[in-house]
Amino acid sequence: MVNRLGIEIGGRRNPMCLGFGILLVSWMVIPGGCANDTAVAHGHNTALDGADLVKMTDDMSMKITASPVVQQAIQREGKLKVVVQPVENNMTAEILPSGPANAFTGRLRTLLSHHARDQFTWIMNRDAWYFLRQRELDIDPGPSPDAIQPEYALTAKFSTLTNEDSRRRSTYYLCVYELTNLQTREILWTDKYEVKKMAVKGFLD
Amino acid sequence: MKSLNATNYPFAHSGRLFGSAILFSVFIFLQGCGPTQNEINAQHAVAAYLTGDFRQAVDRLRPLADKTDENFVLNNCRLGLAALADYDLGESESAFLKAYEVINSVGVNEGGRSVGAVLVDEKLKIWKGEPYERAMVNFYLGLVYYMRHDYNNARAAFENALFKLRDYGDDRDKKDDFRRVESNFSLASVMLGRCWQRLGREDLAEANFRRVVELQPWLAPLVDSRVQGQSNVLLVVDFGRGPRKITNFDGAIVGLGPTPSQEGPLPEPFVRVDGKQFPLDGTNRPTVDLLALAQDRRWQSIDTIRTVKSAIGTGLIAAGAIDGLTDDRHRRVGMDLALIGAGLLLKATSQADVRQWEMLPRTVFLLPLKLAPGKHDITVRFPAAGGLSQAWRDLDVPSEGEVTYYMHMQPYNPGPFYWPPPAIAAASAPARSIPADRNTSPASPKTEADSGANH
Repeated sequence: MVNRLGIEIGGRRNPMCLGFGILLVSWMVIPGGCANDTAVAHGHNTALDGADLVKMTDDMSMKITASPVVQQAIQREGKLKVVVQPVENNMTAEILPSGPANAFTGRLRTLLSHHARDQFTWIMNRDAWYFLRQRELDIDPGPSPDAIQPEYALTAKFSTLTNEDSRRRSTYYLCVYELTNLQTREILWTDKYEVKKMAVKGFLD
Repeated sequence: MKSLNATNYPFAHSGRLFGSAILFSVFIFLQGCGPTQNEINAQHAVAAYLTGDFRQAVDRLRPLADKTDENFVLNNCRLGLAALADYDLGESESAFLKAYEVINSVGVNEGGRSVGAVLVDEKLKIWKGEPYERAMVNFYLGLVYYMRHDYNNARAAFENALFKLRDYGDDRDKKDDFRRVESNFSLASVMLGRCWQRLGREDLAEANFRRVVELQPWLAPLVDSRVQGQSNVLLVVDFGRGPRKITNFDGAIVGLGPTPSQEGPLPEPFVRVDGKQFPLDGTNRPTVDLLALAQDRRWQSIDTIRTVKSAIGTGLIAAGAIDGLTDDRHRRVGMDLALIGAGLLLKATSQADVRQWEMLPRTVFLLPLKLAPGKHDITVRFPAAGGLSQAWRDLDVPSEGEVTYYMHMQPYNPGPFYWPPPAIAAASAPARSIPADRNTSPASPKTEADSGANH
């Protein structure tokens, strides 16, 4: 660079000065840039997520209404009285908190109550009913004499093969849904959803 | 053409510029070195926990645990344990679950954090803990589920705890090493066996108990399937202080200490029920020694980077100083200052990340008892640890099923404590009777009354 007097200023850049400058700037700039990289902004794991919930329950709702055996039972008995249970966690090293455990069968019930409302009567499961009454009523009146007894139970059992080592964690899911006759223990309908998930560990994992 | 570079004017621009830059950077660095207000608050919470004021610890940690910053996992671990000691199982589960999800995730440090952790400060990375800390997160999460009789989720958490130690044990690709490391965490294996028993899988329970005996024979009385199956009270007793991270004089190399030999052998607890000595018959052996487990720590890649950065920094400072002393005509003063400055910055950014879950105990005792239904006064004593003890009054023992009580041994407060503790008493006040035959499936809605001891 030449100044207005025609004198060269600055001259050859000292590489050490440049390195020092880069180091200083990065030291000052990078921490500020980390503010948006929160603990939940990046990263993924092998747990079932919202996309699985939608895909799985959409699939199951279509299959249960398309089942000839279920349709025969509806024609024979009228609307099926069904109680829905939360998912039973048979998974290896995968926790399923109560919220997701209810969601994976609850969404199926919601879909069916919208799209096949003339085929099923949904009955609140006993735990949820007791919980609601306990929370809402000052005096527990005991069991309702007019209670509708469910005839069928919609259940789901999730199982996995899980493995984890220093490089990756992989989980194969088998999610089985069943509609069971509570009197005869006959399984009226069953189907499954399978998915494999893998999380490859990288630097700082 | 005349040049105004450093060769002609050795003291002119570059010397002052870099001298100022170094002073500025050191000034900034010194400011950045101090703990933040959040870190100070967290330390106050930890101090409250260690002195037995669990409620204050929870109150202080709750807002910190909501922040999804680099200490998100750490603060949720702290909150989870403080809430567990306070018998606020809902809050404890929630906090440990948040930590569990991030610990189980990969790529959480993507974006600028990986670069920042290497170039600037390791503390910029999202803390996920050492392997033994990850295992303990899963153990405590499993314990919360176990206390709530959610045996399936408890089982899953204990299995995950074993994975976390296997995670670094199998890196050597030697089966024996894997077994050795996993054997050190019998704590999870014992609880896993109990879960399988409660789930009606005696075969799997027996397999877990056998593995414990095979690897740690002194735990045989504890994992006797008859003792475990018949017990209707389980005391989970935290004892001592866990490992601490230590740095060397340079602040660069991290070690974990003290060693078990420095601290001495673990004492055995004794239990008095309603004033009478309860025969523990050898079940009072420690299930794990975290001080020993921490010594198995496998160094992570960033430790190497940090060490290299520190060494290069020292080299640059030395080179700059030596060259400055030998540069009689001060021709290279700018370069020398740049060398020293770069060295100082490298050393400044190679400081060890000493964040840790400092609330962890040294060991956890699992004491299975068989007691008559009703209320009991129970005292746990450690005669060999200066008479350390903790007394509880009116502990409920159910007529059916089992109950689990968690005790964090406090050096300054032996009790007596009264059941139910305030967190459960407050939550159970509006609760009404619920038929005993109700479903206790994992996802069943729980009242807060369920949170401490389900019976």
